Amino acid sequence: MALLEINNITISYGKREIVKDFSLTLDEGQICSLVGESGSGKTTVIRSVFGLLPKGGKITKGDVIFEGESILGFSKDKWRNLHGTDISMIFQDSGAMMNPTKKVGKAFVEYIRTHENLSKKDAWDKGIEMLERMRLPAADNIMKSYPFQLSGGMRQRVGIAMGMTYQPKLLLADEPTSALDVTTQAQIVRQMMELREDYGTSIIIVTHNLGVAAYMADYLVVMKNGVVEDRGDRHYILHHSQNEYTNKLLDAVPSLGGEEHEC
Amino acid sequence: MSVDNDFQVVLEAKHVTRKFQVAKDVYLTANNDINLKFYKGKTLGLVGESGCGKSTFMKFLVSLDTPTKGEILYRGEDITKLKGEKLRLHRQNIQMVFQDPNSSFSPKMKIKEIICEPLLNFKRIKRSEVDQTAKNYLRLVELPEDLINRYPHSLSGGQKQRVAIARALSLEPEVIIFDEATSALDVSVQKNIVDLIKKLQKENNITIGFICHDIALIADIADYVAVMYLGNIVETLPGDKLSTDAKHPYTKALIDSIFDIGMDFSQKIQSIDSEIPSPLDIPAGCPFCDRCDKVMDICKKERPTEKTISQGHDIACHLF
Repeated sequence: MALLEINNITISYGKREIVKDFSLTLDEGQICSLVGESGSGKTTVIRSVFGLLPKGGKITKGDVIFEGESILGFSKDKWRNLHGTDISMIFQDSGAMMNPTKKVGKAFVEYIRTHENLSKKDAWDKGIEMLERMRLPAADNIMKSYPFQLSGGMRQRVGIAMGMTYQPKLLLADEPTSALDVTTQAQIVRQMMELREDYGTSIIIVTHNLGVAAYMADYLVVMKNGVVEDRGDRHYILHHSQNEYTNKLLDAVPSLGGEEHEC
Repeated sequence: MSVDNDFQVVLEAKHVTRKFQVAKDVYLTANNDINLKFYKGKTLGLVGESGCGKSTFMKFLVSLDTPTKGEILYRGEDITKLKGEKLRLHRQNIQMVFQDPNSSFSPKMKIKEIICEPLLNFKRIKRSEVDQTAKNYLRLVELPEDLINRYPHSLSGGQKQRVAIARALSLEPEVIIFDEATSALDVSVQKNIVDLIKKLQKENNITIGFICHDIALIADIADYVAVMYLGNIVETLPGDKLSTDAKHPYTKALIDSIFDIGMDFSQKIQSIDSEIPSPLDIPAGCPFCDRCDKVMDICKKERPTEKTISQGHDIACHLF
């Protein structure tokens, strides 16, 4: 059984259809990239899978099946149990996700204690363990800092550490590296790939960086104006796609002009 | 940088240093002894990670800030000393395009007023000529003429950036500085804007300073690339040789961490593991010595000076 099945969903805000007839099947340990320009609806798709569509947004057609159950009928309580344990999400700027008036440690402990019956001390240690696993130096210091005191790369790693605490089956990443420098981006991408090796996590990553998408994903979906333009594995998308839009996007990526590798 | 003598130096930075005081007796060195030359009709790309001081440096060039030490020479004249009316008139020579067009336009001005404001300021045109002039400039940046009566909020990001370029072009400056001008745009729009910049540069023989954090883009657009790390220029070299001839360990690390669609996907991506040190606490010797895998004893004690290793290729590293 596939972990996640998105069957022909249409997502609308009021009467406007933002995403039309989107389908995707994701197996355990599979990584899928959604690529496309801004406004193509890629974020809307993963938000709908997370049950986090903004007010007025709704899945009006089709169904999303997670582990054999339709998520559309989930109650608030059910969602609360799933979020952060079975399904986690990493946002573009984890700093904006965190409460600016709470220190990282306080937020982390609160999150852990929501999902697990632990003492504050044990939750704190668990938080530190997760941060260290993301190779953050001086984890104790980070727990005692406010989000704004950390650099963008550190905040993003804190966000991933939080998301990975309960080894979710499905990780949704919304442009996790777009705001970061190239060297930090490479670190974060490497660490996300290790999650799959260590825990068998399935990942859907939304990105406009075709290089990152191709490097991470087994399967790529190209979107434009809410419609799937092209889909296929990496080799097909990069080398054999006949789709005009895919080729236009590939063409626009600046390249250092090194030799072409066959994958 | 030593290049052919036929190249005419338009703008030159000499030993530019900028320190910001953050507390009593604590200084942050944003730029440390920077020497760069801008050649007529050529593009100089400045690349580096966020917080390395590239925008601080470009601000000196457009006289938005003055360095603590050193001088900026525009055709032999030190522009950091200019004041009052002289400075105002000088601003016509060097213009700038910013990263975020949303915050660099007044939301209450129409497109035609935005484009023609510099021209009206310097009394180059009359009020009655505004409509026609704005139309001409819109055509130049490949936008439809009927946008002149629109407000910025009704344009897309790419269109706004084109208007920003039109505004920078309107005074026919000799130098234009682009500060991450394409970073907020989608790749396909970015490509169109870059093509437009290249075309306009060729037609008008403009000198360009292009700040960017995307090393692949900069290799494509710039004739010369300067790589900056924690306020220091570590390497300058011709843009087309970036992928083959880069020698500084930091430049190489930057290149290695790019995700390229032509890369070998079976290889793990390379990258430096450590965090960039705080600019308040730069190592005493080479600024990169903490993260460099080829570090030697001398790197920790002595700051390397820039050496020319081949024509147009300077490097500040003890390895060379």
